[in-house]
Amino acid sequence: MRPFTWLAPDTTAEAVALLREHGTGARVIAGGQSLLLAMKERTAGPSHLVSLAGITGLAGATTEPDGALVVGAATTYAALTRAALPGWHGVLSDVAGDLADRPVRNRGTIGGALCAADPRFDVPALAVGVDAVLRISGAAGDRTLPAAEFLRGNGITAIGQDEILTAVVLPPLPTWDAVVFEKFRHRVFDAAIVSATCALRRGAGGTPAAVRVTVAGATATPVVLDVDAAATGADTGDVAAASFHPDATDEPTRYRRELVRTLVRRSVDRAHSQQGSA
Amino acid sequence: MQKVCLTVNGREVSAEIDERTLLLEFVRDVAGLTGTHNGCLEARCGCCAIEVDGDVVKSCNVLAVQVDGAEVTTIEGLAPQRLAPVDHITTQSLAGMYRPLEAVRGTPEDLHPVQAAFHRCHAVQCGFCTPGMVMVLKDYLEENPDPTRDDVRRAIAGNLCRCTGYQHIVDAAMEAAAEMRGDPAPDSAAHATTATADGV
Repeated sequence: MRPFTWLAPDTTAEAVALLREHGTGARVIAGGQSLLLAMKERTAGPSHLVSLAGITGLAGATTEPDGALVVGAATTYAALTRAALPGWHGVLSDVAGDLADRPVRNRGTIGGALCAADPRFDVPALAVGVDAVLRISGAAGDRTLPAAEFLRGNGITAIGQDEILTAVVLPPLPTWDAVVFEKFRHRVFDAAIVSATCALRRGAGGTPAAVRVTVAGATATPVVLDVDAAATGADTGDVAAASFHPDATDEPTRYRRELVRTLVRRSVDRAHSQQGSA
Repeated sequence: MQKVCLTVNGREVSAEIDERTLLLEFVRDVAGLTGTHNGCLEARCGCCAIEVDGDVVKSCNVLAVQVDGAEVTTIEGLAPQRLAPVDHITTQSLAGMYRPLEAVRGTPEDLHPVQAAFHRCHAVQCGFCTPGMVMVLKDYLEENPDPTRDDVRRAIAGNLCRCTGYQHIVDAAMEAAAEMRGDPAPDSAAHATTATADGV
């Protein structure tokens, strides 16, 4: 690990000021479960680490008056697993409780997962899948950004050097009637090779009015597919697979393509069979 | 350099340390407690698992400065009497310390239920992964008192054991869970049945 200076601000504004002061060498650290691994391998070597641990109000989930769920960026997976979230918001608890392993979930945060922007991570995939909005604080003021626009590539996000991700906002419960997350990995603590999220909204009479299918892991950033709301899981799976490197014949790509097909089919089928959320 | 003060197994330990010091290194080299093992140093093997403010973490992937002021429990903290320093290890002192562990069913003076169950079930071979396994299982069983064998396997997914094949570790976890729930021990239940039969 390269030497660094440890900075522990008490407020977001202080943290932003420190990031601004120390420039490109400064990095934000929340749980550190991705960053510390990179620092030990020296693939990251920040000159300053700005810790979010001492900032109050960055952890925990609250419901806004309009029904949106605001999850602080420094909320750990373990805290989310224990949170009793109503309706489809509960998918966040399920996803947070079924990734990495127990000790890692006690330290890892959802904001950290989004900022690490690893294509195999579940939280960025789910955030794009339900069309979550991210709240960002910076020296130039606060702004919001849809998760799909926040993720720019493998390890690359739209966040500025002097900005901090403060919260993830899931849309109100009526936005979706069912949200299903499916993933595949070889061992339970591995990151997903491919994941699929299906968010479904029903119209009058209970027929699907809108379906949002998102595939992650197969590409650098999650991809939202243009799908027909009435299509079956099998058809949607075929459409999804056909849109993923259709000409590639190498084994890794073909393997992922079959995962895309299967996981999309499963997620859509499960979403169709789920009753409307409370 | 940064001053860090931790409460390790109830004892305050503070030191001026390099910012890069991992919690694992703090526990082993500063607090002097070497029961926490350094296996992979990349948060895969779980041998370095310890509790920070009641939550189990992999101490090789946490900086000591990140948890300044926290309460830390290591494997040494689970069996308080074992912390008594032994100045001169002799055959006599060892003989004096020895108690057949079959007799120990996890009272505060003896072993933690998980430790006792590991001993009974022979869930230890080389023992390198054991401190981490015990810490993770303790944390897990306190939150999930009635797990299935599959749940236990998922709970220790982040702990690697190269010897046992996990079978006996899962056995031990199931026994420890029963004991932590307060279920009657299988042996004493058998005795009770016999006694009743004799009585009749």
